[in-house]
Amino acid sequence: MAKGMFVDTSICTGCKACQVACKEWNALPHEPGHFRFDPVEKRPVAVNFTGDSYDNTGALGATDWRRVRFIEQFSEDRSRGRWLFSSDSCKHCNDAGCLNACPTGAIVRTGLGNVFIQQDVCIGCKYCIPSCPYGVISLSEATGTVHKCTLCNDRIHNGLGTACAKACPTGSISFGEVAELRKAADKRLAQLKSLGHAEANIYGYKEAGGLNVFYLFLDRPQVYGQTESVVVPQKRLPVSSAVAIAGALALGGAALVSFRERGSRETDEEVKK
Amino acid sequence: MGSNMAECHPVAFRWPLKAKTDHGAVLMHVDPRFTRTSALCDIHAPIRAGTDIVFLGAIINHVIHSDRWKTDPFFREYVVNYTNAGTLIAPDFKDTEDLDGLYSGLSPDGKAYSNATWAYQREKPPAPAAKEATNFTDLLLQKIPGRPKTDPTLRNPHTVFRILERHYSRYTPEAVERICGCPKEKFLKVAESLLNNSGSDRTSNITYAVGWTQHTVGVQIIRTAAVLQALLGNIGRPGGGVLALRGHATIQGSPDIATLYHSLPGYLNMPDARKAHESLKDFILTEAGPLSTSYWGNYPKFAVSYFKAQFGDAATRENDYGYDYHPKITGDHSHMPMFVDMTAGKIKGFLLMGQNPAVGGQNARFQRKALAKLDWMVVRDFFETETSAFWRNSPEIRSGELKTSEIKTEVFFLPAAVVAEMEGTFTNTQRLIQAHDKAVDPPDDARSDSWFSFLLGKRLKELYKDSTNDRDWAIRSLLWNYEPDAAEAAEWRIKDEPSAYKILKEINGYTWEDRKPLPSFANLKEDGSTACGAWIYTGVIPEEGKNRGKSRKGDDWISPNWGFAWPANRHIMYNRASADPSGKPWSEKKKLVYWDPAADSGTKDPAGKPVPGKWVAPSGEGIDFQPTKAPGFRGKDNGLGFDWLSGNDAFIMRSDGKAWLFAPAGLVDGPLPAHYEPYESPVKNLLYRQQSNPVAKVWKVEGNPYHKVADPAYPIVISTYRLTEHHLTGVMTRWLPWLAELMPELFCEISPELAAERKIGNGEYVTIRTARGEVEARALVTRRMRPFLIDGTTVHEIGLPWHWGWQGTAQGDVVNNLTPLVGDPNVSIHEGKVFTCDIRAGMKGGKG
Amino acid sequence: MNPEVHMPGWEWYYVAMYFFIAGISAGAYFIGTLAELFGDDRHREISRTGFYIAFPLILLTPPLLIADLGRPERFWHLLFHAKSGIPYMNFQSPLSVGSWALLLFGTMAFLSFLDNLVSEGKLQSAPFAKAYSRIPRKWYAVVGSIAGFFVAGYTGVILNITARPFWAATNPLVGALFIASAASSGAAAIYLVMAWRKKLTDPGLPGFDLFDRLAKILELFLAVAMVVLAGKYAAPLMKGITAVMFWGGAVLLGIVLPLAAGWYATRTAGSPIPAERLATVLAVLVLVGSVLLRISMVHAGQVQ
Repeated sequence: MAKGMFVDTSICTGCKACQVACKEWNALPHEPGHFRFDPVEKRPVAVNFTGDSYDNTGALGATDWRRVRFIEQFSEDRSRGRWLFSSDSCKHCNDAGCLNACPTGAIVRTGLGNVFIQQDVCIGCKYCIPSCPYGVISLSEATGTVHKCTLCNDRIHNGLGTACAKACPTGSISFGEVAELRKAADKRLAQLKSLGHAEANIYGYKEAGGLNVFYLFLDRPQVYGQTESVVVPQKRLPVSSAVAIAGALALGGAALVSFRERGSRETDEEVKK
Repeated sequence: MGSNMAECHPVAFRWPLKAKTDHGAVLMHVDPRFTRTSALCDIHAPIRAGTDIVFLGAIINHVIHSDRWKTDPFFREYVVNYTNAGTLIAPDFKDTEDLDGLYSGLSPDGKAYSNATWAYQREKPPAPAAKEATNFTDLLLQKIPGRPKTDPTLRNPHTVFRILERHYSRYTPEAVERICGCPKEKFLKVAESLLNNSGSDRTSNITYAVGWTQHTVGVQIIRTAAVLQALLGNIGRPGGGVLALRGHATIQGSPDIATLYHSLPGYLNMPDARKAHESLKDFILTEAGPLSTSYWGNYPKFAVSYFKAQFGDAATRENDYGYDYHPKITGDHSHMPMFVDMTAGKIKGFLLMGQNPAVGGQNARFQRKALAKLDWMVVRDFFETETSAFWRNSPEIRSGELKTSEIKTEVFFLPAAVVAEMEGTFTNTQRLIQAHDKAVDPPDDARSDSWFSFLLGKRLKELYKDSTNDRDWAIRSLLWNYEPDAAEAAEWRIKDEPSAYKILKEINGYTWEDRKPLPSFANLKEDGSTACGAWIYTGVIPEEGKNRGKSRKGDDWISPNWGFAWPANRHIMYNRASADPSGKPWSEKKKLVYWDPAADSGTKDPAGKPVPGKWVAPSGEGIDFQPTKAPGFRGKDNGLGFDWLSGNDAFIMRSDGKAWLFAPAGLVDGPLPAHYEPYESPVKNLLYRQQSNPVAKVWKVEGNPYHKVADPAYPIVISTYRLTEHHLTGVMTRWLPWLAELMPELFCEISPELAAERKIGNGEYVTIRTARGEVEARALVTRRMRPFLIDGTTVHEIGLPWHWGWQGTAQGDVVNNLTPLVGDPNVSIHEGKVFTCDIRAGMKGGKG
Repeated sequence: MNPEVHMPGWEWYYVAMYFFIAGISAGAYFIGTLAELFGDDRHREISRTGFYIAFPLILLTPPLLIADLGRPERFWHLLFHAKSGIPYMNFQSPLSVGSWALLLFGTMAFLSFLDNLVSEGKLQSAPFAKAYSRIPRKWYAVVGSIAGFFVAGYTGVILNITARPFWAATNPLVGALFIASAASSGAAAIYLVMAWRKKLTDPGLPGFDLFDRLAKILELFLAVAMVVLAGKYAAPLMKGITAVMFWGGAVLLGIVLPLAAGWYATRTAGSPIPAERLATVLAVLVLVGSVLLRISMVHAGQVQ
């Protein structure tokens, strides 16, 4: 039975407890690129103010496995105004670009459906990194391997839920069996639509074979930085390979023409003589 | 309103959110900024900072003139029976409408009000009891005032209601638009929503935090909400009320057990050398006299039990239970005047536990410089806070204003334990006492604050044990029996922590002779046979070994078996008002406490037959009323406390048993809330000639300059506030890289309109300046901030979170460098939520 | 297309250089094989040169690949499962299949290299020569060439089947483009070695030159088609250093100039191949263009 998370962004308050709980449970260090070192006071000093609403995390990374997005939508006269929040992480896709790309079998899917990187197998080839259509998986300079949300692999295989779901104060993130979560999500979507939220939608039923971490959005997915009609990149493999093979065949034809041509011309000349 | 609940009380906010998603509750946020709270509310009504009384007063005005309020019988019945709407006020009372913003009774020098003209008209006092006074209670009985005169028809022009109606008559939707800068339609939406959602089967709640308290009219803002809720019949009813969101997980416990200078535990007043507090008798008569016809009539029992708990065996009837040796205050010893005294060199030593005034204090530069005047300072905290480092590293050291070699303050830094390393209880914002389990020992030498205070007390007692000096009596006689309990300390490395149970038991109270815990404050006595640290907590340990703070059985409503709510596990105060004057619930839907005429009251009549009738609460809620007093009971004119209060006097802590729409006593700046502009404001008061609170606490001392009203050098309104990611001065958050990287640098929220005017780009540095100081911040240009149109002029407002200091992993300028020392006259809280400033693009030194 | 897709952080001096060197090696090898299959004795020298070049060049590539890994000491996980030691291949990952192809190609290139040594008499040991001559050399040349084509093209497929917008938008052409470029740079390398060995009067050269021109035309066509196909997502190729490397280096110096100059030279001089001096310079330009092609393609997928 696949386990996953339902993220109901309509009741997210943007508090970032999920980000901190994730770091705490997984003993993740702070993101090194966000700090400079003060040699006098001998401590790191944070310098990562982005000016992008309240999001200073900026992107998912090797040490940032969760990141809350802040989307401000205000008309100039302020008559319409909305601030959307969404806690982003690995979606544990059923058809995962990272898993498909991994050449060592380091990235696997466990019996609970989550996509997990075996840290003792990864060689740091980095191919999974651009293969994730959501920009999730990242390399750590410190370990030389890639990292991402594990869906709290150790917790969920021991009867617990994910750390982020546990810390979420409003229940925006809930953990459980994907089938059950989908029922709850459908119910909540229906409720929101009946309250007039016409653009509310669920993201993750069809995308990438189905996302085990799926979302309820109040606006189009691209507003939340998620690709509509996402393509798992390995889907391009057949055509890409076919064209490359065609290229090779073309060169074979060129070789045929070139390396035989002189021969036939000589014969012609001989004939002419 | 006055709160950013989703950001500052994120865990508590789950409940309003659940009410919205599961029960269709409407959430409304009235605030200058659009915050993470506004994002989840149904309505956001923007108002200029400091204009809350206009908004609330206009709702009052709207409500009492509305058809619904005038025709639905619920409102009339509730207001006439449960509030002092019908009480007659002294005929020579003059309102702000008469005196253009002042009340009658202001002293000639304009510094203080006498409330003589605010008093109730009363019947003649009852004949005093014939018997001679043998105890304090008897003394109080001799001074019972006459019953207030009332006109239940509310027609008499001297009724509170008519005064109130006139007082708020100019608080209109148009005034809201002109003064608050809030569009009329928005305001009306909020007002109508509140009105339509109040009544016999619907209630509304108003929740606030420091967005209301930190003003020179802080107490009056809260009063306006209380008045409104009383008029709407929302007090004492489920889903109603006015909820104060306290700032820390357990800060409610702080005033409860009196860490505030002006009170004793349980909200008794501190003996005060400026008042008629010469002897214990004087103290009780002065403090309890005016309140004796409320449940405070039991004051003597609370007070004596408190002194008994302090001095134990040494407290006897003969020595007035040690009252004479108990410290007395001599003035306003709150934070701001304390620092003024410190600057003047009057304070030699300073103990700070989890406090960081170098960052958190108003006019922080003033406060940092004051620290240099101390002889010694002890700081208990987990990291080297800005305060503890002020002598070697601070803006003043860097600028040369203070030199380390010239600072004579000896600084002791003692490592403190953190929350998870301490045993005890939390008292949360709902008055809920919950036991808090220690999870792990603190490392190395770090210790809890209780350990420190307990051992400090022991050593002081040891030092003074042979002193014959009269003034050392108190420390010698101090009852200090919190010795560690072997069972409590068994699993820990540190064995000498004081016993959390013993401390709580003393707070709970016990009979002196056998040390048995008291199950209720009704068992307290004024003869020295009971000891009780804080009467409001009595019942948390109802019997030896049982700590109700530890109970954890919740249900989906009141959860009476989860923790212990003081007083007496009553979660909703004044819940008698959840039933109508005849004792029936106002509606089935809002049933909480009601009179069951058939239930066995537990008492027997002279013939031996059981007397029927008592108040019941099937939910298990504590009943905030005398359990067997019939709704129709008429109180005795010459009785004390419960004896005086009648069967529909739901507000048992008020001397007339009614909710006070009009406060004849207790507040120093007026019986009714009126709109005053913040002490620093770019606009004149558009309602009255009196610009700001006439009796606000100000300190016209060197180093604390104020801006003039509408000073062109400081035209921008500025507010300070908090974020979820950081906590107060940042000692608990700015040293943690996980939190530092969430909100790394000080930033200033600016509207795009102001940014365009001052050529400020998003993310660039800006400098904000007041007469007190300058800070540099990153600009966050956002439409969540907006300019306000005030009486035809654009007034800009900016805001800064004030968490930053120069130490730690997230560093930034101290925003409190900008604020002045100015405060509310009732409670001395600082006006940190609104003042004026100027802003320009660029860093402080002039660089980009 | 999601601009938030992460860049892998492949260094040009490891990964792009690998693409380049492997391309030359594979190109030289399959040219050598094609010349032998379709040509005759006149093309023997070309074949031999191709087989001489391929193996040493491909030997340079594993260190480059291994150095770019986050955990270089674990490189063998590409071929054998880390926990069980069983040989492992992930068919959906060209990087996985390519590792085996590289191994196969390298082995075949080695055998062809040895074959050269044997036939030129440089490897004398009799038992070795006897055992060796049992395996038909054309077999491993063909197998090696198929692996060679794979090695030349799979690196382009690797880029195309990621989610980085530039790489995804240039799909499905980059694999074919790299194969064409491998042919052209392999040819340039063969020419330079022949020039160095003073074998430039070789009768196989005219046919060789024609093949080279056809390869370049294919390469040019694919490069332009790729940019057109990618539309707005080709923007990284249109600005800054990346534009200079791609248009100035790969296209102009690497394809257009050699094609035009070569064609012009043979027209005016009347000879079927350009003069030696000119041809040498042009061959060097081709190699420069080839390395800049790889660098710019890898870089364009890793800019903001």
